[in-house]
Amino acid sequence: MKNELLHIFRNTPFGRETLMQSVYFAKQTAVSLRVYIPAFRQFLMYFENEVVTVDLDRAFLRDPTTAREHAEAVIREGGLEPHFLEPKGFTASTLPDLPVEYAFMCCPRSISDLSTKIGLGHIGPRVRNIIRNASFPILMATPVHKEWRSVTVFFGGSKNAVKALRTGLTVSRTAGCPLFLFTEAGRRPKSHYEKIIEDRGLSGQVQELVTGWLFFEKGEFRNHLYDVPHDSLAVVGAYGHSAIREAAFGSKMETIQTVLPNPMLIVGPRCSPAPGLP
Amino acid sequence: MRTLFQNANDRFQLVLMGAVVGVGGGLAAVLLNRSLEELAEFFQPFWNRGYAFLLPALGAVLSTLCLTYLLKDVGGHGVPDVIYSVTRRGGLLRFRSSFSRLIACCLTIASGGSAGPEGPVVISGGSIGSNIASFFRLRDRQRVLLVGGGAAAAIASIFNAPVAGIAFSLEAILGEWTPTNLITIAVASAVGTEVSRLLQGNQIPFEGRIVGIGNLDVLACLGLVLFTSVGSVCFVRLLRGVRRVSGARIPWSWIRAGCGGLLVGLIGMVLPDVLGEGYGTIHRAIEGQYPPGLLIVGLLAAAKIVSTCLTIGTGGMGGIFAPCLVVGSFVGLFYGRILGVLFPTVHWAGEGYFALLGMAGVLSSVLQAPMTGIFLITEITGSYQVLVSVVLVSVMSVTLSHVFEPFSVYHQDLAEQGDLLRPRTDRRLLSELDIFELLETGCPRLHPEMRLREFVDIVREWGSRLFPVEDAKTGEYLGAVRADDVRSYLFNTHLYDTILVEQLIDSNTPAVSPDDALDEVMDIFEARHVSSLPVVHDRRFLGVISKTTILDRYRKELIVQEEI
Repeated sequence: MKNELLHIFRNTPFGRETLMQSVYFAKQTAVSLRVYIPAFRQFLMYFENEVVTVDLDRAFLRDPTTAREHAEAVIREGGLEPHFLEPKGFTASTLPDLPVEYAFMCCPRSISDLSTKIGLGHIGPRVRNIIRNASFPILMATPVHKEWRSVTVFFGGSKNAVKALRTGLTVSRTAGCPLFLFTEAGRRPKSHYEKIIEDRGLSGQVQELVTGWLFFEKGEFRNHLYDVPHDSLAVVGAYGHSAIREAAFGSKMETIQTVLPNPMLIVGPRCSPAPGLP
Repeated sequence: MRTLFQNANDRFQLVLMGAVVGVGGGLAAVLLNRSLEELAEFFQPFWNRGYAFLLPALGAVLSTLCLTYLLKDVGGHGVPDVIYSVTRRGGLLRFRSSFSRLIACCLTIASGGSAGPEGPVVISGGSIGSNIASFFRLRDRQRVLLVGGGAAAAIASIFNAPVAGIAFSLEAILGEWTPTNLITIAVASAVGTEVSRLLQGNQIPFEGRIVGIGNLDVLACLGLVLFTSVGSVCFVRLLRGVRRVSGARIPWSWIRAGCGGLLVGLIGMVLPDVLGEGYGTIHRAIEGQYPPGLLIVGLLAAAKIVSTCLTIGTGGMGGIFAPCLVVGSFVGLFYGRILGVLFPTVHWAGEGYFALLGMAGVLSSVLQAPMTGIFLITEITGSYQVLVSVVLVSVMSVTLSHVFEPFSVYHQDLAEQGDLLRPRTDRRLLSELDIFELLETGCPRLHPEMRLREFVDIVREWGSRLFPVEDAKTGEYLGAVRADDVRSYLFNTHLYDTILVEQLIDSNTPAVSPDDALDEVMDIFEARHVSSLPVVHDRRFLGVISKTTILDRYRKELIVQEEI
């Protein structure tokens, strides 16, 4: 796995904000930034068990003559060296295959330039598909760049939540920022969650890095989200349950992304246990 | 269900999945056949109008717009996509490909475009196989087999020719005949054929009555080889040329396809037999009931080649199976009539005989797949008495055309891109390995300021032969020190405190990137006569890759592939 964050550049003001978030994230986590400037409307990502087609909207192909220049300027301004991705494989002459061996990938909530789709509460189908299949966490950028100063891991005790916790611990350590845990406990005591952490051999790291545990036994989940620091990177496990269960009971990740305007790092069901951080 | 299935025996899984994929591939072919009939009927009244020559253009434009903007699929006529997926992507195909090309192909062919339904139905069957494999989380090798099974079922179903389906899949798609491949693909092909028979009846598509084949007829078929080879080479080259020229001149896909369609429509106004998939023409040719004279038949062969290249080469959706059969039948008729003119006293087996052999010759040469040609022609015509002649024409046409065009129409683009990796070849085996899997990451890193004494200690402790040197502050890779290159210094203790690592760095040591293909890495090993190379990415040292590790993994991969 390459120690890189993959960013698909969109040569628009909205795309600039997204790129600025990628630059900031790459700097904080000490990974390289690899930018792909699309030359075609589609690209493919061949994951282990599925091929995901990403259909880009026109905004991604806007003004190709200035795209590279704009991207370079934003990256250099952020203090990083620009690296661009030139696809090697092509399924068809106008259908490039993008590598999938990355540490992270940055996606806006929707691969669409429609302002109605950019806001909270909407994750586009292509982004969902990437989250479900990617072996790396997805950085879901916000419409406007804002630096995050802490990391909040949503920890519900599931297998995916443990992966999210591992990711959050690594990001927090590398970025040198405080880590918060957020747990909507329900009827389970705190010891239940502590035991899961201990069983996974993470208690040492949790004790070392976690500065606060937002633990809620009562009340409504949506209301508790107000307690998440406004300048925190939310690390969330997603799609860990079966499709039927998620359809029946809903998904926590969906609620979080609907309510929380923070940048999110989403750890999908196929993510490697530990991301390729230094 | 998925868990129950995953616990079953590997071969049983594949047989079961082969049957499921066979049903899918068969249904896709039947659906396409029916849709083509319905749509052709819809277009029928418009063929008598003055603007009829615009119909192929209209169909091509609609087909391209529909494929690009509505179905959001990109790609050619299908089969190369399937081969690419099998050779490079573990058989992964998009779900949308299971229906997108069928819809686009219907519009192209029913409106008069010169193409066949087989290419799109192959990708449709392959995609069904691929997605079923993904659903059951099968391994890459199993997925590849199901893609092959889907393709076989589609061909078997559309032509009611199970053995041709098997041959096509093994020869053109998978590129190898092994017992495991055969089991899955045979099951899929048989099931696909049965689905077609159940829904459309068991009919031989182009039944021919060829009788009285004498020794002279068999001998004469050798001359036909020359015509079929020339025809197929022209076909393949023209198709490539039209694709390149139109792609370079007209950037908008729908305008390009429309221009191609317009030219086809104009040709069709003069020679209407070039339009559509041409099954009716094949019928008449095989039955020896094709009235136009020698020159017209020759012209038709050329016109069919041109119109097919214009249809497919400009982006119209369709396959080349049916056009090959039509071109082949014209070439065969042309040759048969020349023989009739040159040797009027000889009683030849009939024009149908040569038309049939022409079909076998052109199809086999264009596809570079003789077994497919042989089985398809014998099955779709039910003429097993011509088997010997068909074998001769197919094999010799392939041999002769191979001299001028070493790759089939499906393989040429892949070969040019370096993506044609046939099974059990060196490049294919290496392509299955990943640099990250072979990386040795534990080797110690040197800094330029280190003294030789420290380096000697490291050499003593580590058995490595290559030591990367990094900038102590930035961690940037600066070069490498090879133990072999500095051997003379290692035994000179006087130099231990006077020489720095900085002086020993060989900055010319080639470094490889994790993106490099392993066959390229092996070429560097050969060219530079070294046994290990540093892997560097973004000016950071990632590890060492050694020839021994590659060869060790290569052997293991070979064993795995032989077991399958």
